[in-house]
Amino acid sequence: MKRRTFVGGFLAVAGLAATGCSTGEGVDLSGGQADFGNPTTGPVLRVAIGGEPDQLDPHSSSAYFTFQVLENIFDTLVQPDENLQMQPSLAESWEISDDQLTYTFTLRQGVSWHDGSPFTAEDVVYSYTRLIDEELSNAYKLAAVSEVTAPDDHTVVITVSQPTPSLLTNLGGFKGLAIVQRNNVESGQIANTPIGTGPFYLAEYASGDRITLRGNADYWGEPVTLGSVEISFISEPSTALAALRSGEIDWTDVVPPQTVEELRRDESLVLESLQSTDYWYLALNLKKDPWSDVRVRQAIAYAIDRPSILQAVAYGTAVENQLAIPETSPWYTPYDTYRLDLDRARELLAEAGFSGAPMELLATSEYPETVVAAQVIAANLAPLGITVQISQPDFSTWLDEQNQGNFDLLMMGWLGNIDPDDYYYSQHHSEGGSNAQGYSNPEVDELLDAGQVEVDVEARKELYARAATIIADECSYIYLYNPSVVQTWLPEVSGYTARADGAIRFGPVTLQES
Amino acid sequence: MRFAPKQFGLFLARRLAYSAVVLLGVIVVVFALVQLVPGDPVRLALGTRYTEEAYQALRTASGLDRPLVEQFFSYLGNALTGDLGVSFRSGDPVTVLLLERLPATISLAVVGLLIALVISVPAGIWSALHEGKVSDVIVRLTSQFGVSIPDFWMGMLLILLFSSVLGWLPSSGYVPLTEDFGGWARRVIMPGLTIGVVAAAIMTRFIRSAVLEVSAMPYVRTARSKGLASAVVTRRHILRNALVPVLTIVGIQFATILGGVIVVEVVFAWPGLGRLVYDAVAARDYTVIQGAVLLIAAMFLLINLLVDVLYAIVDPRIRLE
Repeated sequence: MKRRTFVGGFLAVAGLAATGCSTGEGVDLSGGQADFGNPTTGPVLRVAIGGEPDQLDPHSSSAYFTFQVLENIFDTLVQPDENLQMQPSLAESWEISDDQLTYTFTLRQGVSWHDGSPFTAEDVVYSYTRLIDEELSNAYKLAAVSEVTAPDDHTVVITVSQPTPSLLTNLGGFKGLAIVQRNNVESGQIANTPIGTGPFYLAEYASGDRITLRGNADYWGEPVTLGSVEISFISEPSTALAALRSGEIDWTDVVPPQTVEELRRDESLVLESLQSTDYWYLALNLKKDPWSDVRVRQAIAYAIDRPSILQAVAYGTAVENQLAIPETSPWYTPYDTYRLDLDRARELLAEAGFSGAPMELLATSEYPETVVAAQVIAANLAPLGITVQISQPDFSTWLDEQNQGNFDLLMMGWLGNIDPDDYYYSQHHSEGGSNAQGYSNPEVDELLDAGQVEVDVEARKELYARAATIIADECSYIYLYNPSVVQTWLPEVSGYTARADGAIRFGPVTLQES
Repeated sequence: MRFAPKQFGLFLARRLAYSAVVLLGVIVVVFALVQLVPGDPVRLALGTRYTEEAYQALRTASGLDRPLVEQFFSYLGNALTGDLGVSFRSGDPVTVLLLERLPATISLAVVGLLIALVISVPAGIWSALHEGKVSDVIVRLTSQFGVSIPDFWMGMLLILLFSSVLGWLPSSGYVPLTEDFGGWARRVIMPGLTIGVVAAAIMTRFIRSAVLEVSAMPYVRTARSKGLASAVVTRRHILRNALVPVLTIVGIQFATILGGVIVVEVVFAWPGLGRLVYDAVAARDYTVIQGAVLLIAAMFLLINLLVDVLYAIVDPRIRLE
């Protein structure tokens, strides 16, 4: 699909000005079609996203643009509804054993792959085993799984080593755990020509330009009424907006934040902006003095002007927060200890015997919001006698610096969280894999350990509320805000729902042809 | 025009050898630069959460654990056979990625260059022949303005006018010329104009000075004093001799456009080499960056070679130097 034959290219350099057409032999992939799939008939939805997928194997990719496309091609065993509660998908129902160690999934019958072959329990076993055995980057989501078996074609049994209330969320939370087809993987085709069970199948991929998805007439869910979805890659927000306004595209999430207010008033467009499950935070290096003193950290939390940061980075589209989990989540805990209070900050610093020092703030050019916020933070901390030096290396250097503890303060975000364990464990448990700030509190460890195995929802909420409150009180992270998912489309598009997890699903969309 | 095949052959051989040496130099520099850039590509390819085993496996698979010298010679050997490695992000062969993008960039560059020629040749000649007059001043001021316009700004203005306000042209996208000429033309015109106007401004100034320089030559004075008609002097003596420096600037501009339209391609979502380089830099996709720089350098060399050969045909004195 993606690979094209090319001949004209070099001749053209030689001055012949040919424009690279395909040769007569081989498959013409520039205008080629997939040789599988049973297409629907209907209108074409034209969509623009901000960048190109790196490749299309859901188990190997970690790129957001990839998952935007794959959302429409693949299915997971269960899937989050709009409130991020797990609902049936390829699994129609499931039962959990009394000891909470065995999950028995009953699979939906009559589901077929895009190439027409039947979907069976073996595919599920293959997919999870592949993730675990090949140690692919999303395998950590299956860390608690000890065995996956298929007693018959329509049943999958997953055994876990300890009660794992986050298991369903881990299986369905994102397409990185999609169920893939063995043949497609073993032939190596999956990276370019993925075959899934979702509402659309890949029809054409013009590198750098667009991907065309065709409606799957055999889809097991709500019948797809679109004929196809044409996804183009436009990284420049003003270009995307011009394309939407002139009717070249019907939908985009490449929206310049500074235009959101104006778009909201524009009656020729529909704009949706809702608080996402991502969050952005500050972290102080707890292994370094004076930041190891909790009073110094609290003083900084009182000196940060959150509304100004929000205005600077998101033009008011983000929502201020003081804990990681947004208010829209069932796991939300109210908390509002910190607000701009320089007197309180000075008091705390005096108690700690701190009279000022230089500070290195680690931002990265990869995420421009960290650089913008850093400038506001530098101004916020100046009155406390803290001179902030902002460093902004590229992201891989940033990761190295973070891991080696070469920072006083850093800013970063965590994206795509659903279960409270995603929000807190790896960041704040002493043994957590992403606890670069060096936070360690035995009580928090205990609460987070208990949260991983507590199956009673109410009891679990309490555990996380308690842990989150201690974490914020002790400023392991200083939370800043939850950004918004901002998407805009033409009024002819109906049936589309913007989601807090940023997943874009075009299956239920209908398009009124003008 | 006299033609001495032996002399010309020698010239060509020397010129080819020179290009090969430069290309080798480019390979060395590109390889070294990528080594010096901070950041670990393996870490980036894996994202934030990965196991140590996965890290080591990818490092070994991409050959980054081998000694530098060994990495260089294997890169050199492969590059000479057209194998530029595989992309870190997608796992696709870099050569395929580059060649996929080349047609879009070439068609854009050709349109940009044509627009630039159509504007700059008459403007430059007119301006030189009317040196010091009002029309000359106007041309010079306009070209000064054209040189100073940032291309992204010009691109956005065009989009604002022709897509948002008038709704005449699509703001982005690409259709191969071979598939649908009308669709291609409608999409290429705005990015082509953006590139063409900026290049025209540079070329106008260049052509103007080339024509002026030749006008001051003794043989032009001689021709005039012989009583030749002014139009004949202009056509036969001035323009003909001004062609050599003009060829140079056209060649350089064409090569520059081929290799340097990153911003324009990003603004118009044009799937060419520039966009590929932009994405590759953002993702630290080293092999793709290396390959793209190499390809762009090779195109530069090829165009320079062609220009030199054309010189030698137009002006035999050059061969003797």
